[in-house]
Amino acid sequence: MSVAAPARPVALTATGRGTVPAVVRRSAPWLRSLAGVLAVTVTVLFLASVITFVLGALSDSNPAAAALGETATPADIDRLNHEFGLDRPLVVQYFSWVGNGLTGDLGRSWFTTVPVTDSIRAALPVDLSIAALALVLALVIGGGAGIGAALSNGGVFDRAVTLVCSLLGTLPPFVIGMALIVVFSVKLQLLPAGGYVPVQDDPAEWLRFSILPGLALSLDVAASIARQLRTSLTGELRENYAVGAEMRGFGRRRVLFGHVLRNAAGPTLAVIGLAIPLVIGGAVMTEKLFGLPGVAQLALQSAERGDVPVVLGTLLVTAVVVVIASLVINVLQTLLNPVARRGDGTAGVAR
Amino acid sequence: MKTLVALWRVPSARLALLVLFGVGFLAVFGGALAPHDPLQQYTDEVLQGPSAHHLLGTDYVGRDVLSRLMEGTRLSVVGAVEAVLIGGLLGVPAGLASAWLGPRLEWITLRTSDTLVVLPFTVFAIAVAGTLGNGLQQAMVAIGVLISPVFFRVTRAATLGLRKVQYVEAAELMGATEWWTLRRHIWSKVLPNVAVTAAHATGSALLVVASLAFLGLGVTPPAPTWGGMLSSDLGYLAQQPWAPVFPALLMMATVGSLNLLADAIRDATGATAAPRRRTRPAVAAAAREERPDVVTV
Repeated sequence: MSVAAPARPVALTATGRGTVPAVVRRSAPWLRSLAGVLAVTVTVLFLASVITFVLGALSDSNPAAAALGETATPADIDRLNHEFGLDRPLVVQYFSWVGNGLTGDLGRSWFTTVPVTDSIRAALPVDLSIAALALVLALVIGGGAGIGAALSNGGVFDRAVTLVCSLLGTLPPFVIGMALIVVFSVKLQLLPAGGYVPVQDDPAEWLRFSILPGLALSLDVAASIARQLRTSLTGELRENYAVGAEMRGFGRRRVLFGHVLRNAAGPTLAVIGLAIPLVIGGAVMTEKLFGLPGVAQLALQSAERGDVPVVLGTLLVTAVVVVIASLVINVLQTLLNPVARRGDGTAGVAR
Repeated sequence: MKTLVALWRVPSARLALLVLFGVGFLAVFGGALAPHDPLQQYTDEVLQGPSAHHLLGTDYVGRDVLSRLMEGTRLSVVGAVEAVLIGGLLGVPAGLASAWLGPRLEWITLRTSDTLVVLPFTVFAIAVAGTLGNGLQQAMVAIGVLISPVFFRVTRAATLGLRKVQYVEAAELMGATEWWTLRRHIWSKVLPNVAVTAAHATGSALLVVASLAFLGLGVTPPAPTWGGMLSSDLGYLAQQPWAPVFPALLMMATVGSLNLLADAIRDATGATAAPRRRTRPAVAAAAREERPDVVTV
């Protein structure tokens, strides 16, 4: 008896290992890393929802005070609290909020009783299109500056890029946006200083209205991309494989674009991943500056009125957007980097 | 003290320390030394350039820019320092604990830090203002909480690297308590990293405070802050290019000095620049390097 007992599981695992198809076994680390990323993502989303909900629970504003103002009687407060389900225990409130949120219902505004999801759905494309444009601009500007700086390592262009990057980092982002408005809208009268046309209505007009906000938003990220790309490129150019390629007679450009750039792109992508919350948060500033009808205007107006459901909804949706964007960056990083492709699964959102 | 002397020998650090000392002086005594009342509106001298009466000119309602700058230094600097202190107080112990007190706590702290990184500063600050009310304290606590992951990561990375160093193991073998090892061996090595991070974080906190002032969060007008002055004066840039130049210059000088100081501390103490995930991923990657049969799909 006592001998047979431990023998069984051993036999089981042995046969188990034998029957697993080779494909599954090979992709096991990949699957495991996928599971790890998923676990982290779900936890992060859960914690973000908890933080958001706690903010709402700590708030002392209530729908009656928000909608009726000073004239609210205790009876009114109780009635509206009951109507919005605020007299239930907090745990129940949380789960119904998150459960409804999963089906796309984040409650209704205390003021207008418009569903929060509808307001956000109308405002979110503005931010997403501007942020996407900003990321593209940042990649072009920052990538160009970084590559140029690495090519002229120690030269005038390199020092100029470093100086501009350092200076950009010492000013709040809205100053740059305002300077752009003054130069391009007020002095040169080239571009509109405010307003918005949805991209699906007229892409050319959209670009005319969103190029300035996009540019204002991109410069910060462009600076960090340029800095990181320069650092990793100069590092990689000193590696043996780059020196070897050059010795075999490849031109500097061919070595750079053919061999080195791919390896230097990994850390740069990580920087972009870290910058995504900054871009989304900076979109808030840009929106206010250029008068765009985006999520931030919605959040700011609701915050002024104490419209808690809308405020919480915008925070949660923003967090979800950032998480999704970070996941995309993570996948790109994995595609670029063979070590990460094989490697540690939790590297993604965990960064 | 020895570090401070070493820092003083570096020219850029000396410049940075002087600027920061000046800013600190303004923060403490600026309000008392201001030549005019920062809220007094000289309505017949709106948007003036620098003159003998108003050394740095006047803003769009005729308030003296120099006085507003001196008075505003306190609110701006105190706000940023408060946020960084909160971030450090939350992040550093959590970082030490996550590297020291076992995997369960480590997992919890790591995921919390991941979550806080995901929340954008401005949106979170708006949400806090909308739920808990608009004020300097709320805004600073919000920023402090969001800054804490930076401290957490730096502390954790430095501590993880030291966990397996021989003299730490030797101390443990000789029967040192964990608390004693932490205080004696770990803390002095972690401190430079924390200092570098604090300098950088104060710079970015200043910028975030300014951005929040632009959004109308935190310090509410008419009380002067650098960010508030910048955002209101920049609206009149076409009419009067002088007004926003001075707060912008002061801000650039302060943030730039903080960055210079951070670099100098890093060079002087040999603190590592960025949190390096040294132990586990490196080991894992190395282990996988030895198995060339792993083919990825």
